[in-house]
Amino acid sequence: MRTKLDACLQMVNGVLLGKEHQVRLAMTCLLARGHLLIEDLPGMGKTTLSHALAKALGLSFQRIQFTSDLLPGDILGTSVFDKDSGQFAFHPGPIFAELVLADEINRATPKSQSALLEAMEEGQVTIEGATRPLPDPFFVIATQNPVTQGGTFALPESQLDRFLMRLSLGYPAKGAEKALLLGEARRDLLPRLEPVFDHAELAKLQELVPQVRASDALVDYVLRLVEATRSQPQFAWGLSPRASLALLAAARAWAFLADREYVIPEDVQAVLPAVVGHRLRERADPSGHGGGALVRWLLTEVAAV
Amino acid sequence: MSTRRSSVAQPIPRVALTWLLIAQALVMVPHLFHLPAWTIALWLVCALWRIQIYRMRAGYPNALAKVVLMAGAAAGVWFSRGSLIGLDAGSVLLISAFVLKLVETRSRRDALVLVFLGFFVVVTGYLFDDSMLLALFTLLSVSALLASLIGLQQSAFAERPWPTLRLAGGMLAQALPLMLLLFVFFPRLGPLWSLPQPAGGAVTGLSDNIEPGDIAELSQSGELAFRASFDGPMPPRSQLYWRALTLERFDGRRWSQSSVAQYPIEPQWQKRGEALRYNVIMQPSSRPWLFALDTGETSLERTRLMSDFRLERYRPVDKSLFYQVTSWPDAVREPEDSPLLQRRALQLPEQGEPRARAWAADLKRRYADPQALVQALLQHFNREPYVYTLKPPPTGVDGIDAFLFDTRRGFCAHYAGAMTFVLRAAGIPARVVAGYQGGEVNPAGNYISVHQFDAHAWVEYWLPERGWVSVDPTFQVAPTRIEQGLEEAVAGERSFLQGSLFSALRYRSIGWMNQLRLSWDNLNYGWQRWVLAYQGEEQANLLQRWFGAFDTRLLLIALVGGGGLILSGVALGLLKPWRRERDPQQRVFLGFERLLARHGLRRARGEGPRAFAERAATALPQQAESIRAFLRVYEAQRYAGRPGAVGELRQALTGLRRRLPWRFTRSTR
Amino acid sequence: MADTPLRPRWDRWLAKRIPAAQRVRLDQRRIFIVPSRVGAAFGVSLLLMLLAGINYQNSLAYGLTFLLASVGIVAILHTYRNLAGLVLKAGGGGAVFVGEQARFKVLLESSGRAHQAIAIGWPPAELQSLDVPALGLGECELSQPALRRGWLRPGRLKVESRFPLGILVAWSWVDLDQALLVYPRPLPGDLPLAAGRGDDGEESGSHQLGQGADDYQGLKTYQPGDSKQRLHWKAYSRGHGLLVKEFAALSGRDLHLDLDALEGDLESRLSLLCHWVLQFCNEGQAFALHLPGVQLGPDSGETHREACLRALALYANEQRPGNRP
Repeated sequence: MRTKLDACLQMVNGVLLGKEHQVRLAMTCLLARGHLLIEDLPGMGKTTLSHALAKALGLSFQRIQFTSDLLPGDILGTSVFDKDSGQFAFHPGPIFAELVLADEINRATPKSQSALLEAMEEGQVTIEGATRPLPDPFFVIATQNPVTQGGTFALPESQLDRFLMRLSLGYPAKGAEKALLLGEARRDLLPRLEPVFDHAELAKLQELVPQVRASDALVDYVLRLVEATRSQPQFAWGLSPRASLALLAAARAWAFLADREYVIPEDVQAVLPAVVGHRLRERADPSGHGGGALVRWLLTEVAAV
Repeated sequence: MSTRRSSVAQPIPRVALTWLLIAQALVMVPHLFHLPAWTIALWLVCALWRIQIYRMRAGYPNALAKVVLMAGAAAGVWFSRGSLIGLDAGSVLLISAFVLKLVETRSRRDALVLVFLGFFVVVTGYLFDDSMLLALFTLLSVSALLASLIGLQQSAFAERPWPTLRLAGGMLAQALPLMLLLFVFFPRLGPLWSLPQPAGGAVTGLSDNIEPGDIAELSQSGELAFRASFDGPMPPRSQLYWRALTLERFDGRRWSQSSVAQYPIEPQWQKRGEALRYNVIMQPSSRPWLFALDTGETSLERTRLMSDFRLERYRPVDKSLFYQVTSWPDAVREPEDSPLLQRRALQLPEQGEPRARAWAADLKRRYADPQALVQALLQHFNREPYVYTLKPPPTGVDGIDAFLFDTRRGFCAHYAGAMTFVLRAAGIPARVVAGYQGGEVNPAGNYISVHQFDAHAWVEYWLPERGWVSVDPTFQVAPTRIEQGLEEAVAGERSFLQGSLFSALRYRSIGWMNQLRLSWDNLNYGWQRWVLAYQGEEQANLLQRWFGAFDTRLLLIALVGGGGLILSGVALGLLKPWRRERDPQQRVFLGFERLLARHGLRRARGEGPRAFAERAATALPQQAESIRAFLRVYEAQRYAGRPGAVGELRQALTGLRRRLPWRFTRSTR
Repeated sequence: MADTPLRPRWDRWLAKRIPAAQRVRLDQRRIFIVPSRVGAAFGVSLLLMLLAGINYQNSLAYGLTFLLASVGIVAILHTYRNLAGLVLKAGGGGAVFVGEQARFKVLLESSGRAHQAIAIGWPPAELQSLDVPALGLGECELSQPALRRGWLRPGRLKVESRFPLGILVAWSWVDLDQALLVYPRPLPGDLPLAAGRGDDGEESGSHQLGQGADDYQGLKTYQPGDSKQRLHWKAYSRGHGLLVKEFAALSGRDLHLDLDALEGDLESRLSLLCHWVLQFCNEGQAFALHLPGVQLGPDSGETHREACLRALALYANEQRPGNRP
């Protein structure tokens, strides 16, 4: 199992060059049963990452390109009248896949956005009165262009909270980019990937994560972090209990990936930027985005021991 | 998290009001037995009224209503107690105020007044009843009063009843050791000024004049008269004649105390033989005399030995009294003749009882020696068919004649009275002695309880040179009465405690019940002996015994030293200073940080232990292995939850310390 | 110790014993404890009960008196315990204008046990009371009138507790080293021409200065810090996202607020400037502020506004927040 996990990481890293940390975080997010938000400029490999993950984990993959004219039905599916049977037949939308890539989610209207986000939250969709469960595992990778790009609808804070992590891939390092340019086209590599896990194995992994031990001392550290966001004046608002649960869950998964059966403060610190960055705002700039400075402050100023 | 304003003038919270109502009820309960009925009604009305005020169904009393209520209460006290001063009236007045205050309690200040009044009412209760049960019960009242005090605090804590009560009880428990210390060592003073005493209710007991029937009546009472415990072995019960008083005047029907006996004349006597030392705790008798074996001396202040060898206190005994007595049973009492003695001890009515007088004259003629005469008399009682009974047939005029020659059935008072009469008629000075005989030995407590049914009368006659000699004619008739007690003596006629069906004493034959009764009695005796009686002299005695000395300095040292010790103990338990230290692993880790800081490696606040250790391992490659070893143990204990001794961690640190070059100060590497 | 000659000595002693800090943990060095008024009444009651015990030679009355006295002594520990270990932290507070209530946030943190009914405030004002749960956090906002511009340093904070019986009061004086900036009171008034604008003397009145003065340049996407006054709401409602109307700031036509160009006493001139700073910011105008030795702008936006107000508050009133007067 352990070697398979490493092989899986290896495989994705082979497709997406020089992004080991981000790949590991994405894997962590998946193991912790969370959804992932990738925020980056176009062409940074967001789609490649999702595709590679889906392949490596043996998940069915669907991609939804969000546009301003996308309707909720385009995501969830619709009922179409079937002449032969004389009945309405349900045509499931692209959301009925195990790994859904919601590309450029901030281009769609809030209505379509919330259709996706509600499905994410509840693990099921309700269409025309009928409730249909989504597949298990169900993992959403949403991407968005940074809000500074014009003509977009930024996700509100309440929706952001539903993503366990927010990542930014960033430009590749020089060496990685060179390898990229010299090598095969990345997308061509994808069909050749063989799934490493089957569903049962993945479910088993996800079950093992919560058993990673978080000692009192460690939970105290998480509490100190959370409490600091609630009491320090530079934070516009504090982290919610959902956020502290997310932080602990992500730290567990991170420790699990590192082959450790207990969490140490460094695990928390490794996932902290990705888990809380999108949930924090500076008081001086509550409408701004990203709490990078705040996360750095948390990492340096909150006593780790 | 709410923010509130603080002030004494604030309205009282609901919880505090509930506590006040409960506390008031608990404080009132012990008083219910002696309060006039209207006070209890007033209390119920006031409590209901206050509840209605809380439910917004009624208003607070206005000024006029308050005046009317207070005046009404005062009038009520006047009518039911006949006065507004004195302890009895004063206590009713205090309780009325306590009850009325509740109605007008709106602010915290009022509530505080109510609570403090409550404490006073509890103290007043002690003046009327000082039993152990009451004392235990008042602990409840005091807890409720303290809970009210806590309930008045503006805290969410005070809104939860159980934690409040637990805190109040906990504080009482923590205060207990200190209270015991104060109780034992706080110097006891005599009364600073005289205060009205609680009026003794109707107390059954010996009175200063008796008809024979009176003692038969007393014998129906299972009430306790007194308890005594001996320093040495207890004498056999047939020798336990507890003198109360002597009855020297006979008017043809009643024997009564001579008026001469009231004069403070010091009797003459010589101590002879072995002394008996014992102490007595008397129940309230409303009479001034104390009980003692012949011939006793006591150190109790303002108590003297009167001319007829009874011990008398300056005032009636209204509450239980503790005193120590030393008695000389073989003492020679008033060996010298005096006209006064002759006059007192030979007094007889002018006429009446002709047959007895004739028989006395006959005896006198036959026996010249008074001693022989007395013996003959006793022989007579022994030989003739006299019957000891609690139900003698009624006699008319010349009761002694009827008893001696016709009915021949009687009780100790009959025998004593008749014998004294005959002795006097025969010219031998004699008198009736009233008191108690015997008592019930409590094996658990090694003390003796004397009840009212142990009341007894016997005879003293006077011989020149030898003085007064005691003799008990009842012994001739019913030796079991003296040797075993009344119950056995009258077992045949089932008249023992006939009237008091519920007296536990009636069920002495049932083993476990008797055991229970004796233990309970023992407990009460201990309570009286060691708590209630713990006043000036007892304190001095006890401390003398414990420390061999007794002075103010000792008290001060004991109070301050003991108090300090107890307080430190309570403080340790409460504050738990050891909790404030960080856990041991953490202390060792701090040592690890200090050690590395001396080598220029300081952990940043937000740096995790592993990151720090890795940094240190890179900076100190030679010690890297020890550093990592320490980290492994630390992580295993702190984060992996693997229990391990702190010693292991400390060892790892020591290992690292040895491998590092010694540095004293922090270097700037 | 309101205004006695001992006051300065008392202050010095306190400053040494409980130095100012942003975070203060109450411990035995910092907690004082005495009987309260209720405690005095309690003591008198005990004395009366003792007299009853003595005069009636009643052991139980003695006993109850001793029990309650011991409860009183044990209550010292309880009252102390309720305050000890409490950590007070300065929670900061926003700037205010003269005449407003300055609000200071104070955080109370339990480092172990719960703390009940903690009263906190600046006497003689009434204290606020709150509970702090075990290992939890309490927060309260205290206010003090802002009377002068500049740094407002509230005095020492009184923290007290009478829990559990109310017969004792444990308290401490804590300086959380809090300071808060007080801006001048904005006073509306006309702006003389010279102060209102640059050197090109247009004759229009000061009230019209904001409208249409600058040229509309086009739209740009909203960025944090842009004035909300200039948001293009219509475009937003059409789904184009947040756009901001851009105006060209024409040099030479900037608005200049200059202290020296005004007349009157210093405080009223500062108040007038303050009013106009707020006015221009509301209108989204760019402007510059000149104080002797200080030159800010021309610029617009929140940051500029803060800088200007700060300069006005501190002009000729430089007290460092950290230094005690």
